[in-house]
Amino acid sequence: MHYTFTIEQGNFTDAGQASSSVKRTLKQLGVDPANIKRTVVALFEAEINAVAHAYGGTIDVDIDDGKIVMVVADQGPGIPNIDLAMQEGWSTASAKVREMGYGAGMGLPNIKKNTDDLKIDTKIGVGTTLTMTVNLV
Amino acid sequence: MAPTDTYFRHSLKVNDYLCSGCTTCMRICPTAAIRIRGGKAVISDNKCVDCGECLKSCPRKAIYIKQDDFNLIENYGCRVALVPAVFIGQFEEKYKTKDIYACLKKLGFTHIYEVEHSVEFLVDLYKEYMANHPEIRTFISPYCPAVIRLVQVRYPSLVDNIIRLKSPLDVAARAILKKLLDQGIRREAIGIFYVTPCAAKIASVKYPVSNQDTHIAGVINMDFLYNKVKLMLSNSDKDAEAINHTLTPADVLWPLSRGEAANFPGSPYAVDGLQNVIQFLDRLEDDKVDAPGLVELRVCEEGCVGGVLTTQNCFVARKRMENRAKLLARLHHDQQELTYDHTEFSEQIAEQMVIPEIKPRSLYQLDENFGTAFKMAEQMKKIEKELPGINCSACGAPSCAALAEDIVRGDADVNSCIFINRHSEASEAAIRRVWGDCVKSETK
Repeated sequence: MHYTFTIEQGNFTDAGQASSSVKRTLKQLGVDPANIKRTVVALFEAEINAVAHAYGGTIDVDIDDGKIVMVVADQGPGIPNIDLAMQEGWSTASAKVREMGYGAGMGLPNIKKNTDDLKIDTKIGVGTTLTMTVNLV
Repeated sequence: MAPTDTYFRHSLKVNDYLCSGCTTCMRICPTAAIRIRGGKAVISDNKCVDCGECLKSCPRKAIYIKQDDFNLIENYGCRVALVPAVFIGQFEEKYKTKDIYACLKKLGFTHIYEVEHSVEFLVDLYKEYMANHPEIRTFISPYCPAVIRLVQVRYPSLVDNIIRLKSPLDVAARAILKKLLDQGIRREAIGIFYVTPCAAKIASVKYPVSNQDTHIAGVINMDFLYNKVKLMLSNSDKDAEAINHTLTPADVLWPLSRGEAANFPGSPYAVDGLQNVIQFLDRLEDDKVDAPGLVELRVCEEGCVGGVLTTQNCFVARKRMENRAKLLARLHHDQQELTYDHTEFSEQIAEQMVIPEIKPRSLYQLDENFGTAFKMAEQMKKIEKELPGINCSACGAPSCAALAEDIVRGDADVNSCIFINRHSEASEAAIRRVWGDCVKSETK
């Protein structure tokens, strides 16, 4: 099953629609609540990352064979140092983003923690693509 | 296979004679529990959470709450009215609590027991429960029975966050029963009747989540009793007292929104109103809100004063109850001898307050087998694309998404969409199944 969503830069109010929609589907499939939560938390974090740091992007979700693969691709500045970005508390978020309660430097570490596989493809000045996999059964 | 067992039962009923199938209730139901069949609203037992929104919305008063026959009280020698503080809040302040109780006695009750008397005792039990479960961060109050059912069907992952303890009503019923038995009255002679402000509380008495006996013989709708008492009040000259001691100000405020939260440290969340509760639980489920300690959730606006069986505007009733609490605080201050007796709440009652298990009852799950559910979800997505997406409800389902789900579950036919094959015989037959004779035959 395939789902596509678009991400709008700076629109925190509407962020979370992708994760809500995915949550509903996973509930229909009777997926274990703990796995639903992992999926939703990871997807929401990735969505917020793209809203806060990039100039928009797309989310592609595929559910099949007992696993969910979520690809969040943004057109943004890219991540200059992935090792640093993976550290808890490290953030390049702007003051404005922090004021909204985001930018605590927990995004990528939290995604890593909640997924079974995480691939990060990033190119400075072009964008970042996260490929997240969660085993559902 | 879709689950066919009925695990919830309800007191909300549809009067087929009055129902016109107008779809108002169906569109407002938060769990999509209503369909139109044969031109009438039909409520699904397993999806309904007893919130009462359908009853509130019905323009023809076709949805009602089944109550026990009032004459049932005559079967008992000892007839106890369990009266919640909200009932007193239905009357103007010029009527004293004692006048209202006198009317209840005139109506046939031998004893009056104030439900919220047990609040202080219960707060201690809640606190003990929370201390005994350090692994849980957020505790959902079990007070509002509609919230418990909502969590069971819509938020199964949060079921373990509900405090597994019963409500002040359960404590009150057991306390009064014990008191009367101790006085040597035979069990068969004791009839305990609860005056309910809402549908959810009836369901929680008649069909408790724990399947344990509630010791309550019958339930009386608050609006019904209000009318009876109101008629008598104008020429009442006597007064009467409840057998338990005066409520504390905190007891009186408990049924109001924020009244429960006020008893717990750390200024807990207090959320009231169905849509607010749903939004809050959505966020809580995804860890988007951090709510350490107790969260008070009430499906009705302003708490129990907003119950469907109340007769007064919830803000007016709230004000009256706040005034009553102030009056009680002043009385307590003026008369040092006024003490609150909580001796009737024993260890034994505390043990009976535990709810052994609250089961998740997901209303979303399409099938227990992942593979089957997956195929159904795929098919549902495909069907949804075919449907017009205007949620007209002419098919007898609240939305196109709901119809798609009904189709894959085998509960509806794709031809019941008036936009699909709209001139075929199959379509006409399907529409007629939903709408009955109000559909005129097409003459060409």
